[in-house]
Amino acid sequence: MGILHAGITNSISGANVTAICEKESFLTMAAKAFLPKRIAVYKDYQKMMTEEQLDAVFITTPIGTHASIVNDLLKSNTALSIFVEKPLASSYEEAKVACEAATRSRGVHMVGFQKRFSPVFQKAKQLIEQGIMGDPMFFRGYCYSSDVLREGSAWRFRKNTGGVLLDSAPHLLDLLIWFFGEPTRTMAIKKQVYSSEVEDYVHAVISYDSGLQGHVDACWSVSNFRLPEFLVEIYGRDGIITVTDDYMKFAPGRGSAKMGGAQTYHRQSFETSPPFLLADIDYTMEDVAFLNAVRTRTAPEPSFLQGAKVNALIDKILDSTEKG
Amino acid sequence: MSHLSQERARDRTDRLDLESIVQVICSALTSGATGYTFSTHPTNSQILDALGASGKVPSQFDLYPIVPYAEGYVRLANEKGMTGLMNAILSRLSLSDKAKLLLEGGFSALRLDPVGMLRTYLDAELKGYLSMKPRNSTLQSVLLHEVLTDLCLGFQETSLLDLFAQHVRENYHVRPGFVTYNFPRFIKLFEEAGLSLKDVVIMTPFNSLGYQMSPSRDSCEASLSSLREGHVIAMSIMAGGFIRLDQAVEYVRTLPKLSGVAVGASSREHARDTFAKLGMLL
Repeated sequence: MGILHAGITNSISGANVTAICEKESFLTMAAKAFLPKRIAVYKDYQKMMTEEQLDAVFITTPIGTHASIVNDLLKSNTALSIFVEKPLASSYEEAKVACEAATRSRGVHMVGFQKRFSPVFQKAKQLIEQGIMGDPMFFRGYCYSSDVLREGSAWRFRKNTGGVLLDSAPHLLDLLIWFFGEPTRTMAIKKQVYSSEVEDYVHAVISYDSGLQGHVDACWSVSNFRLPEFLVEIYGRDGIITVTDDYMKFAPGRGSAKMGGAQTYHRQSFETSPPFLLADIDYTMEDVAFLNAVRTRTAPEPSFLQGAKVNALIDKILDSTEKG
Repeated sequence: MSHLSQERARDRTDRLDLESIVQVICSALTSGATGYTFSTHPTNSQILDALGASGKVPSQFDLYPIVPYAEGYVRLANEKGMTGLMNAILSRLSLSDKAKLLLEGGFSALRLDPVGMLRTYLDAELKGYLSMKPRNSTLQSVLLHEVLTDLCLGFQETSLLDLFAQHVRENYHVRPGFVTYNFPRFIKLFEEAGLSLKDVVIMTPFNSLGYQMSPSRDSCEASLSSLREGHVIAMSIMAGGFIRLDQAVEYVRTLPKLSGVAVGASSREHARDTFAKLGMLL
């Protein structure tokens, strides 16, 4: 993810990547061989902070290191702006450390929940806010992928820093918080399919004080999902909204004043050309938003505080699975 | 395949076995398609093998492999970490490839030469596919995946692009190719660096919606009009299934200097209808 954000950032007018930090020897050699010679390559971020004058840093390290790196970087430079790849931390306690460090800083701070920059999810958010489907009654959501079909050895498979809940589920949970706010109660179960230390599957029932309820499934061990897939379906009194990475569909309910046939908005129907396209438009728009916030010193979204809410929900779900 | 939604793509993939895929490709080739472009996903080596063994491929056709299979490497890095990924890549190399690497880079993994490693890796990645190449097919070009091409464009750095182009020319004696979503930026970078586009294949989106055409449809069209050399293949002409074929063709016909179009098909009938229509309209 680091190289992806670096490539996009460097392409955006007015931004220059001046340094990268990477611990793996082969990658540092590859960076020196194939990246512009003006980009300094470090193995130690403390050294990088001492030697470079940086306006902003992207943190794309293993999740368990995010909070301490944020803390260290902001101690070195209180004006530094920081983008942290999702999730903000591996627990709510750690997320609070990052948030507290950020409150003492003069920079801007953002978490990489790029689904918020997808035109399809933005359309869904807009229609929910307009109340097109009436009062939402319940929802279902999933994130499925075939990423883990055997036990892995990387940090994603270690207890407290990995598992599907910290890997792909944060996107889904952030979308729910973005759409409906923070839930108050959860009941969940989890299952280990291939991994010995972390969960490969989670099913959680999520409830709000408003009476809204729903369930989500997160699994990274489903076969046949070449690419990760996300879906949120919201059932309102006046219709149903279904949203995925590819389309958003609104089906008005029978007898509803909004009847008139289902409307489907495909990604292609409202996607505008980004200034630069690497992998996915969502990443470019996310990085543009962060860099605009850095330039204008305005608070970006999703902020660290919003990222911490996702960590709180993850902890709540995990806690619920452990209580049975 | 379907780019309209992952759900649809998954549904179609579930219904297609190896034999059906071979039938789709044969149907496309008998209906006017002149080549086959594919990623180095492991399934594609089985497809090439089955295609050759089927005896149903009508006549001469061209191959345009796209390297590397980026999604596969991302998955492997997630699973094993970066060191694990490097070890996995090394373990896939044959003994002679490993010996070549050691000679080029020295005996310590820490002293491995990224340039030598990249060349050896490219050869190893392609070997499994080229050894399965059907007899009546011709390797026309080897293309670099858009993630790597566009990453280089983001950094405005040509060293990897130039190395790839030279390696494809020297080792395979075919045209080097690049897939990109940033066509104007690609042309500008090559021209500014003084790199020749004469024998270069560029596969890039062109459609009436401007979908995946960065920074804009107008800018991509202007770059194409002023292109002096190079072979452009338009992809995503139907914007991932969002535009009807006849509408897509109507737009493509207005574009100058295109060498070809790359179009997907998901059934025998679909392939037959699509390529017959393309043959008539283009």
